[in-house]
Amino acid sequence: MQPAPDPNVWVVIPAQNEAASIQSVVARARRCVANVVVVDDASVDQTAVLASLAGAIVLPLCTSLDAWGATQTGIRYARRMGAQVVVTLDADGQHPPEAIPALMEALRGGSFDLLIGSDPARVSHYRHFAWKYLRALTGLAVVDLTSGFRVYNRRALDILIQSEATSLNYQDIGVLMLLRREGLSMCEVPVSMAPRMSGASRVFRSWIKVAAYMLESSIIGLAGRSRA
Amino acid sequence: MIAYQVTAALIGLSIGGSILWLVRKNHLHGPYAIWWIVVAIGVVLLGIFPRVVNPIAAWLGISYPPVLVMVLALAALLVKVLTLDLERTRQEVALRRLAQRIAVLERKDPSSLGDSTG
Repeated sequence: MQPAPDPNVWVVIPAQNEAASIQSVVARARRCVANVVVVDDASVDQTAVLASLAGAIVLPLCTSLDAWGATQTGIRYARRMGAQVVVTLDADGQHPPEAIPALMEALRGGSFDLLIGSDPARVSHYRHFAWKYLRALTGLAVVDLTSGFRVYNRRALDILIQSEATSLNYQDIGVLMLLRREGLSMCEVPVSMAPRMSGASRVFRSWIKVAAYMLESSIIGLAGRSRA
Repeated sequence: MIAYQVTAALIGLSIGGSILWLVRKNHLHGPYAIWWIVVAIGVVLLGIFPRVVNPIAAWLGISYPPVLVMVLALAALLVKVLTLDLERTRQEVALRRLAQRIAVLERKDPSSLGDSTG
């Protein structure tokens, strides 16, 4: 028999127009974790209703805050409800919720504040090149910089709910640098990710967006380095 | 042809007058109103007495006095735009936190499905 899920562990799923995949992602997550929160990032489809039907607590944003803003909404709520650990998942089915128990084991067994579910094999050469550049710039020893499959402990959560983290536009570099600056430790855990069931990357949608992302990440990287 | 002093005074008075009207109508308030009233007074004074810059420019070693006015005006505009962006950044964070809090207040628990249509 499976042990009862830990009530202090919460899953937060930011979702925008993910009606095709949200139900199955929520249902699968609920098999591993008791509390599943879907933050509906101003979707125009049935994402919120389907997530609710699948058993998730739904936080509906009245205006789109993008992936990180939505994630922070869920983290703030979960923390207020007493969460000690938050697992973040993409709504498009890329991140297998079945890997959560193994990640939780790794969190309990290690001395890390943040675990990153990592699958560098899933992305293109272009993105590997971008990662390499950002790693060199920021000095972060993380291969899968953009993975949204993460496990945060209470120490990390208490930093991420602050206003300072609200000014970030992306969850990857900014969040990692903020946590590193506060002296938190992080570790990557290999996870085999699935192809997206639906939707497309919100950052890597167009070359202009990629350029804006790279520029902003570079500035955060440089600013963070000089402060560190 | 009219004297350049008349043109300058007309421009200064119309800009200054517009600003004062906006402040009076409450379209600008608080620190914005103070900034713009100072600008309005400056524009009116320079419009009516354009020659007041001549001795200052001479003292600063600027041979063509209107350049001093333009450089100072540009510098003031730059500072204003910079403070605007600082303020916008602060407001954006406040707006995001507010949207997050509303989302939490409007949360739908799985059990409450069907209770509301919003």
